[in-house]
Amino acid sequence: MNKKEYLEELRRLLRKLPKEDREDIISDYEEHFAIGLEKGRTEEEISQALGNPKNVAKQLKAGHVIKKAEVKPSVGGMIEAILAAMGLGLFNLIFVAVPVLLVTAVILTLLVAGFVMIFAGIYWVLSPLLHFIIPQLDLPHFLTSGGILNVLVIVAGGIGLTAGGIILVVAMAYIAKWFYELLIKYLKLNLRIIKGRKRDF
Amino acid sequence: MNTQFKKGVLELCVLVLLDRKDCYGYEMVDEISKNISISEGTIYPLLKRLKKEDFLDSYLKESQDGPPRKYYKLTGLGREKKEQLVAEWRKFSVGVNNLLYCGNNDNLGDFKDE
Repeated sequence: MNKKEYLEELRRLLRKLPKEDREDIISDYEEHFAIGLEKGRTEEEISQALGNPKNVAKQLKAGHVIKKAEVKPSVGGMIEAILAAMGLGLFNLIFVAVPVLLVTAVILTLLVAGFVMIFAGIYWVLSPLLHFIIPQLDLPHFLTSGGILNVLVIVAGGIGLTAGGIILVVAMAYIAKWFYELLIKYLKLNLRIIKGRKRDF
Repeated sequence: MNTQFKKGVLELCVLVLLDRKDCYGYEMVDEISKNISISEGTIYPLLKRLKKEDFLDSYLKESQDGPPRKYYKLTGLGREKKEQLVAEWRKFSVGVNNLLYCGNNDNLGDFKDE
């Protein structure tokens, strides 16, 4: 591959990166070629020594995607970042993916449970009132039967349930954030593995 | 050499070189590949990442022959990182050497207690 071919291939592989980043990296390789030529190497020799542009592009892309997931947190961004890191051939990620999915599922379940508790609590609190306004509304028997004491117990229970739900949701939000940051850290750690040629070292 | 093993080694080399003097990319590649066989292209993504993490800074400097070159220099944070990595490497290599040359490790004694 000569200089032009190498740079064009790299540019093509990096087309998804922001233009600024792409041109910055291309200029680094242009400089590398220029100095190499000055030192009397041929374009072919230089591109051979640089290694496959695919490997270079993969590393740059993974770094970019992980950065994106860090700066702008989103589930899609995280999935993209994990896939990009896996594209680097980091097999340990596969063993990590399963626990990650499990923890994510647990966090999501507890989050949903928290919301259910909040709404159930509100429903309990409002049900005596609802029953009073619209008597023909078909409410569960235990919420409406009994005297004023029962109503008080139901309302207190409802408030407690809502409070518990809020605590659960807030706690899960914190844990989810912490877990996300931990994942980013792990992905960045993986990026530190520098892939070289087979005959390395 | 497996990939786990290479983790951080190139990073360490780059930081050590830049601690001695500011370098341009080609210079570092040249210096490192004199000692270790690397895929030369991988150094630029590494430099980019180190710069993003504020371990390095870059500036353009005129050269006698040809266009200006992009020089890299270590930041304060980068120097700290270098110290940390060097210490880790030392500990690690002394440990491995102790295992490899079990029995005649007198000359390594100096490092042992670090």
